[in-house]
Amino acid sequence: MLGLGIALGVAALGVGIGQGIAASSALGGIARQPEAAGKIQTAMLIALAFMELVFLLTFVSALILQAKVTPGA
Amino acid sequence: MDLLQGWNPGTILPNLLAWGGGAAEEAAHGAAEHGGKHEPGFGWKMLVVAIIIGLIMGLLTVARSGYKERVFKNPITQCAEQLFLFLQQLALGIIGKHGRKYLPMVATYWLFIFVSCIFGLFFDWTPTADLSLNLGLAITAIAYVQWEGIRTNGIAGHFGHFAGPKLGGIMVIVSGMIFLIEIISEAMKLLSLSLRLYGNIHGGHEVLLNLNQLGALNFGPHEAYIPLGGLLLPIKLLTCLVQALVFTLLFCVYIGLVTSHEEH
Repeated sequence: MLGLGIALGVAALGVGIGQGIAASSALGGIARQPEAAGKIQTAMLIALAFMELVFLLTFVSALILQAKVTPGA
Repeated sequence: MDLLQGWNPGTILPNLLAWGGGAAEEAAHGAAEHGGKHEPGFGWKMLVVAIIIGLIMGLLTVARSGYKERVFKNPITQCAEQLFLFLQQLALGIIGKHGRKYLPMVATYWLFIFVSCIFGLFFDWTPTADLSLNLGLAITAIAYVQWEGIRTNGIAGHFGHFAGPKLGGIMVIVSGMIFLIEIISEAMKLLSLSLRLYGNIHGGHEVLLNLNQLGALNFGPHEAYIPLGGLLLPIKLLTCLVQALVFTLLFCVYIGLVTSHEEH
């Protein structure tokens, strides 16, 4: 169970940093070129979605592992 | 009625509505017994899907009734118009000039996912928190993308596109490898579309359940129940919007990838 917590924490840390970098670059881009805001937003959303997928994979693995670890479940 | 067993609708309101002591007891002790899961039976699931589809149909019917007027006065019609304009802008912006053709598909996905997720704010099971239905949605989306690709480029053109640029001589092996990798990436699209939706919605429910357990306090004979999970509802509302948007956005991107070759 401790391993699950650590795995989720590390995954959240990594995804948080990655998404922060992506969002900050996108915001910087929008600030420099406000007319390109729509395109940048679309690209940013796609990038964020792919980054989030990594965390969700960890989350689903954690759920599966939890079902294995929990007795009687 | 055998289909409708395994899920007691009396205990399905985990959020703000569950103030009663029974719900606190359920949150404090019941979750441990059931492993934190209240999995409804197949019949309940189908009933919920039917209710959601009926809700969408009903709302759209109401929206259509105000459609004849010169200025839309019906508020639901106005909402539907705004949604239409938003999705149209999305489709036209990402797919290109021919994006209007795919608008019905995009709007169907958006409406179903959004209404399902909103439904999930009130109940602890919702169609989009179920991997089977998400996989079904993803399969229809990707199958439609493949179909459109074949229709636009022809069978040879569509699958030839998987092999990357034309290479001569010994480099045919590389083309074969690219082809294999592209096939795998198509399969990964299925996985990513379905897992993203499932993880976000189901994960939100898990977190909410855990927070509710945290708020179920037991002071000897007195029980206090603080629905801490309710604090998460605004974030979950945002999640609903974003997930519906992301699914349709990725669908548009995939459609745009396979149909945009005619222009250059």
